[in-house]
Amino acid sequence: MTQVAAIALNTFRETVRDRVLTVIALFALLMIVAGLWLGSISLEQGGRMMKDFGLVAVTAFGVIIAAFIAATLVRKEVEKRTVFVLFSKPVSRGGFVVGKFLGLAATLGVVVGGMGLFLFLMTLAVGGGASGMVLVATALIYLQVLTVVAVVVFFSTITSAILSSMLGLGVFVAGQLSHNVLSLSRIGAGAVTEAASWVVFVLIPNFSAVDVKAAAVGEQTVDWGAVALWGVYLVAYMTVALIGAAFVMRRKEF
Amino acid sequence: MRRALVALLAVACVALVVGYQVTRPEQAAGKPRVFVPSASFFEDFSPAFRTSIADAYYLYLVQYYGEHIKTDQRLDSVPDLVTLITDLSPRFVKAYQFGTFALLDAGEPGAAYELLKRGAEANRDDYHVPALAGFLVYAFGQGEDKLQIAADWYARAAAVEGAPAYLGRLAATLTAKGGEREKAALMWAQVYADGDKYSREKAVAALDELLPADPAERAAGLAALREAMPAERFDMLRDDLGVGG
Amino acid sequence: MTPITTSTPPLASLRAVTKTVVTGLRRRRVTILKGVDLTVGRGDVVGLVGPNGAGKTTTVKVLLGLMRPTTGEVDLAVEGLGDVGYLPENPYFYDYLSGREFLAFCGRLFGMGGRAAEERATELLADVGLTDAAGVHLRKYSKGMLQRIGIAQALVNDPQLVLLDEPMTGLDPIGRLEVKGIIQRLHDQGRTVLFNSHILADVEELCTGIAVMKAGRIVWAGTVERALAESPDGLEPFFMRVVGGDGASAPEATP
Repeated sequence: MTQVAAIALNTFRETVRDRVLTVIALFALLMIVAGLWLGSISLEQGGRMMKDFGLVAVTAFGVIIAAFIAATLVRKEVEKRTVFVLFSKPVSRGGFVVGKFLGLAATLGVVVGGMGLFLFLMTLAVGGGASGMVLVATALIYLQVLTVVAVVVFFSTITSAILSSMLGLGVFVAGQLSHNVLSLSRIGAGAVTEAASWVVFVLIPNFSAVDVKAAAVGEQTVDWGAVALWGVYLVAYMTVALIGAAFVMRRKEF
Repeated sequence: MRRALVALLAVACVALVVGYQVTRPEQAAGKPRVFVPSASFFEDFSPAFRTSIADAYYLYLVQYYGEHIKTDQRLDSVPDLVTLITDLSPRFVKAYQFGTFALLDAGEPGAAYELLKRGAEANRDDYHVPALAGFLVYAFGQGEDKLQIAADWYARAAAVEGAPAYLGRLAATLTAKGGEREKAALMWAQVYADGDKYSREKAVAALDELLPADPAERAAGLAALREAMPAERFDMLRDDLGVGG
Repeated sequence: MTPITTSTPPLASLRAVTKTVVTGLRRRRVTILKGVDLTVGRGDVVGLVGPNGAGKTTTVKVLLGLMRPTTGEVDLAVEGLGDVGYLPENPYFYDYLSGREFLAFCGRLFGMGGRAAEERATELLADVGLTDAAGVHLRKYSKGMLQRIGIAQALVNDPQLVLLDEPMTGLDPIGRLEVKGIIQRLHDQGRTVLFNSHILADVEELCTGIAVMKAGRIVWAGTVERALAESPDGLEPFFMRVVGGDGASAPEATP
């Protein structure tokens, strides 16, 4: 446990000090502020525009940061051979994967949480009601971002950093479309297609089950039960991806 | 010397970049007819970003409307845009309100009424949409029973929890006999009370026409509208009409 | 099995260890270790020498469990990795950690508490002469400084067995002296050290035993004394004779 905590803390320090992260985060804040300008041309709908586009910015930047940093987490340690230092000490492969994940989760907590809080304060300033939902939406975006991290960590144990990032972004997009995969199974293209689309549907994380932004702009009332179930589903998905990553790491030689 | 050359080059390039863009307004102007995908395309493409896409198209609609209403008056794509936005975000009340006036300007009062009917259905807890429907029927409706239909819409709006009290009175006024100009003024006042800058402009123009020209009578006619809107809106209207307090 | 000395009980041993890896897209099988027999006695300082590609690093990795032997057996008479220290070749550590943070991190990997790890880090920084650079991020360290911080991390847990892969590489003369001092001190404390090296002069100076590797096998192992007895004019001609005098892949005789 100490080891996992040490690796997590170390990863948090490493990633949070990375200048690239600061640059991207500042850019994201700039995008949120740009929402003010969108609000000004929206005929008194500034609050809604700020919330909606702000949350899109939080999602996009969160996912981009997640995909690119997560890919280097494991890869960099292997390529730069810091794993030699770790695995020549009493550190389990699973502990390594979990520690890395938790460390980046903490960093992303700071980044995504910071963006969400900033957006929340901006919507308070602009007005437009239901601002608290911005924080709820941010929390759910954070869960999606963590799922992307787990997926990318898994990919990075078997392939290169760049490819893992791309696959991670691909999975995020596919997750937005996951229900489309299912509708493929209904077009009657035969049993094999149907079975295959079911498999893909189950494999891809379902990111479109709950529309958090719609709730934040008052489009939908929040079904807390559905939100909670979705949250549990995402946590379970991450766990499976991390177990997969640990399994691959255990079999790896350096 | 080299430094001066680099500086000169930089200045020249900045001038080129800025100059290129600022001489481009003709190219930047939008076409009267634009491609508008169907809502179901976006539903499939990105269900978790529906409202964001609706908002983006709403901003586009505002821009499109503003640009064409001032220039060529061609609003060919307004119906498609309004349908797309409200299909993606059925509870976007503002989109129904703005969409109604945009459709009227596009010469589609029927489509505007259909839009408001759908909007009222999707937003039963909102009074703006049925109230606007009442106005639309009153101002653009045909047929003998149009006053009754308009009054029904106002009554429906008044029944919504949190609706302002004057909506109920509007319903009653409509079905009462006589005073057509006063009725019309009240309806437009309601539009002014609820609307964005485009619909306020329209309401001010209509009220300017409806209210008597004589200053004293005009002030009295305006005072009768006081109860049709919140106090600060009324002050705004008085300023817009140029009637002294 | 080739014991290097007979006087001390074995601490680490490899018996008939082979290692075959599959490389590249064409899944080519390459046998790196072809039956390594090596026993390192407790308290010995053993130099593992051999031409490039002889399998020295792989031998150390198999000892550590970073690689699994294809066949053969590995025995470590210590209580797991908690009692082993390892310096990889050309070490690279975390860019954005300071030297102190990195060593404290390594301490925590051995289960030390926060304060104990901090104290151990301070001690080690002094040992390797990096006290002044303790707060500097590692990406600003020179190669020599990285090598020294690498040795420090190998000693965080005060291990019984220390495995050093090319510990002298990239060090200036003062750095080399310091590292030699550290190895000497470990020997004096009764620790067991196995280090890979190209530099025969260092081996002659520091080691009690020597093992010569060539093409995946230990071709000679014994005490430094015995090697010098076989070849009175120094280890260099001895080495050339044992590995077959292939000049191109011979190690550097002097730094």
